[in-house]
Order: sequence, then C-alpha cells, then structure tokens
Amino acid sequence: MAKRLPCSDAQRGAAVDLRFEGHAVRGFAGESVASALFASGSRVLSRSLKYHRPRTFFCMEGHCGGCLVRADGVPNIRSCVTPCAPGTEIEGQNAYPSPELDLFGAVDFLFPRGMDHHTLMTGSSILNNLASKVVRQLSGLGKLPSHVATDLPPVRSMKIDVAVIGGGPAGLAAATAAAKGGAQTILIDDQLRLGGSMLADPRFGVAIADGNVRAALNAGVTAFTNSTAIAYFPEDDGGLLAIATPDGLVRLQAKRWVWATGGYSTNLLFHDNDRPGVLAARGVGRLLVQHAVLAGERVCVIVGPGIGEYADALAGALRAAGAEVTLVPHDDVERARGRSWVTAVECASRRRVDCDVVAVAALPAPASEGPRQQGCQTVLDPQRGGFRVVVDRDGHTSAPGVLACGDVCGYIGPGGAAKDGARVGQMAAEEAREVP
Amino acid sequence: MASKIVCCRCEDVTLADLEHSVARGYRDIEEVKRYTGFGTGPCQGKECLAVVAAALAKINGLDPSTIGPFTSRPPLAPTPIKILARDPAAHRFADDSGDDQGDG
Repeated sequence: MAKRLPCSDAQRGAAVDLRFEGHAVRGFAGESVASALFASGSRVLSRSLKYHRPRTFFCMEGHCGGCLVRADGVPNIRSCVTPCAPGTEIEGQNAYPSPELDLFGAVDFLFPRGMDHHTLMTGSSILNNLASKVVRQLSGLGKLPSHVATDLPPVRSMKIDVAVIGGGPAGLAAATAAAKGGAQTILIDDQLRLGGSMLADPRFGVAIADGNVRAALNAGVTAFTNSTAIAYFPEDDGGLLAIATPDGLVRLQAKRWVWATGGYSTNLLFHDNDRPGVLAARGVGRLLVQHAVLAGERVCVIVGPGIGEYADALAGALRAAGAEVTLVPHDDVERARGRSWVTAVECASRRRVDCDVVAVAALPAPASEGPRQQGCQTVLDPQRGGFRVVVDRDGHTSAPGVLACGDVCGYIGPGGAAKDGARVGQMAAEEAREVP
Repeated sequence: MASKIVCCRCEDVTLADLEHSVARGYRDIEEVKRYTGFGTGPCQGKECLAVVAAALAKINGLDPSTIGPFTSRPPLAPTPIKILARDPAAHRFADDSGDDQGDG
C-alpha cells in the first residue's frame, strides 16, 4: 500500500478534495492528480486500446501515456501533469463497467499470443465489415468531451536571445549561465514544478532543485512551467517553436536554442512488464522525493544495465522511509505476477520476490524528438539510453544555432548534466550576442 | 491477463509482434511502425522508441548505430486543439479563415 510520509506543509500545499469514480480522494494543491490518486490507493485508471489490459501510473512525469483519465468531462488527460484542483471529477476510461473490472479485458484471454489485425477476419468481406464495426466499438481512446471548449486561449509571439527547453539540472544550469552572460533567456519545462530528474533523485531532492531554480530566476530567467514545446516550424518567420502553456500558445523565436530535455523513463522487457504496480524507478523516486509518497511497503527494484548507482540510491531512500527493498538484476527477471496489481516478481534463478510495487530502473531514453524536428543528427546508442543527440565538445548539434546539453546527449545523470548545462548555456549567450 | 512482453504500452505492441512483423518482411523501423502501430499512441514513442529500436537491432542482427529513429512529428505531446484555435497560421490552408459560416 502507498503511504504518505510526513513532510512540511510548504512542500505539499493546502488540502484539496477530488473525486475518482465517485469516491472522495484527498489531494494537495502542490501535487499532481496522479500523486493524489496513487497515495489514496487508486489502482487501475483505464484499459489499453487493443487488448484492454489494465493501464495506470508508470512514469509519473507526463511522458508515457499510462495515467490518462477523464477529468471534468475532458478525455485523455495526463493525470501526472495535471495539478489538483478542488472538486475535480476524475473518471477512468476505455473500460466497461469500470477500469478495475472491465468486461472487454476478455480480448486479452481470447488472443493469448496476440493478434495481427491486418489478417483478422479478412477471409470474407461480410465478416470483415462486421469485425471492423466491432473493433471500432472496442478500440479507441476515451469518449468525446462532455462540452464544447468555449474559452479559446490567446496566442502570443515572443522573440528572445536564448530559449532553453527543459527545466532539469542541465536546463536550469544552462538558462542561469545564459542569463548571466547577458542573454535574454526563456526556460520552458513541461512539469508542474521545475527541477527535472533532481526531483526524482534522493541524492539531490527538492532543496537542491529549488536552490537551482532560485539561481535561475535571480539571474533574470523567465520560466514557463507546465508548458511543452510541441513543434518546430522551420518555414514560419525564420523558424519558430510552438509552446503550449496553460495560458495559451506561444510562438517563440530565438537566436539560439538549447535543448536540455533529458531522458524519458523506459521499461525493461519481461513477461507482463505492463502489469499495474510496475512503475519506472524514477516514477517511484518522484513520488518519494517530490511528493513524499512511499509507493509501497515491499518494493522490488529491477536493475537494468548502466543505472546501478541511481537504483542503489533509490533503494537506500526507500529503505530509510520504511520500505522493504529487494534489488534484482534485469537479466534474472522472468515475469511479473498479480492481476489488477503486481504481487510478485519471478526470477530465472527460481527466486520469487513478493512485492506490492516494482520499480524498473532503466537508462532514460534521450528526449530527442524536438531536436530531431530542428534537424539535429541523432544516433542509437543503447549504452547511453537510446537516440542521443550528437554534439561536439561545446554542445553544438549538427543544426545551425541549435545546442544541446545533459541527458538528451546520452545519459550522464544530474551532476554531470548540470556541469554540461552551465558550459553550453554560456556558449549560447556568447553566440546570441553575435546575431543581429 | 494472458502473459505478454509489452514493448509499446500505448498500442499494445509486444515483442512477439515485432518478431512477427520482421518475419513478414517489415524490418525497417518505419515499416515496423506502420505494421504494428508502435509509437503511434499518446506517448508518440517516448517510452517505446529506444526499446523497439534496440529490439529490432537484435532481431535483424544489425549494429544499433545503423538504425535511425522514425520521423518526429508535431505535436510532441498531447495538446488540446483549442490551444491552436486562435493561431492564424492554423487556418492558413482554410479558405474561410476559421469561420465555419461560409461554404469553405
């Protein structure tokens, strides 16, 4: 069972009451809906669109699509990047009668080896038409909103010297250095709170993250939180980045771009690795460090290659918070057990680890799709997490005017990312000065 | 729940699906994306692209560095359409300038 740990009111904010599937849920103003749901013991939030397998929390950072819910009549809301607001009515989706007990989950049993929808019922056109109708009813993601959006937010244009995308250790350091170098600097971050991976890492934590945020703001950085760089349009106004903010769209032009988007939590491959209760280690870390929520009483940490130090630090912090923690190397893991929530991990070494949460520690995959839209070259480097942006020693990518730093160039961890960011941010400010 | 090794959680694409796709001749990352649907869900490949690419390198017996990513397309994250509604650029291909009253 998840448990809230004692922490200061300043960190948690005022109490807020939400409803999930008709039940009252206690949340706090400073946390996400997902954190409140997790802490209250909510389990399955929706069902997957093909086999109707149970879906719920995984990354806790708005990147995986696991924790989608219907909130106040709007479908497909990522609950982990949605702040708790009083009276919000949260519902599950893609399930009948409820996400926990979904009749369409039978599809998963009917196709134990999976189904190739390209060849499903293609023998006769009548059967094929019928199958298409049934499939259209069963699949899809959520139902249409209950009401039409009437509050169409405004669109703003901004021109600045340096735009830093990503507010983690690398981005905060880069933005601070750029602003100190005299550049007008904007920092864009998609989370509810600045700090990135530091807020999921017990070796860093809220206090250090807040210190870095203060340094950036004191240097004159303008920060957008809960705001996402959604697209780069090279053909518009000499190239502009579209930023979706809570107050509407920003069309951003910059003399230099610095990508500091870090990496996304990924899963490791084993049987039933999508079982509810199997979370990204960084999701478990974020619950603990940022939200003061202990994800479980018995945690099994599955450790992939190249991420052992973080896994050990997380295990230590979970133990200190009162959890029983077992570390298992990924190559020993065979399958997760449990129905609507994980109960155990079975290993090839015949070991069985009983647990109420699994934390999967895998190298984060560089968040390089934004840089790729700007034309930056990437290379698949599994030892560094995935498609990393290729940079020279000063952080220049293959695209003119575009720099990158931190984990998006391959995993180095928060300490190394901050050093990298400071260097690259300074470089960006110097170069922006030369641009008319 | 039947036992599956899931590579793409959004679209329910399993390791067996990737092997099946390659066996049918769809080996390249863009072909596998189109055949299996991996990377086309709400996360747009954030969780699965690196995992699938590494798995494909193994299945096809290729060096990972020879495998490119699939094309990155906007929007990079789930975006409510109302965010774009008042951007004039969003209506540039419409002959009604965003006004539904005409015949455009």
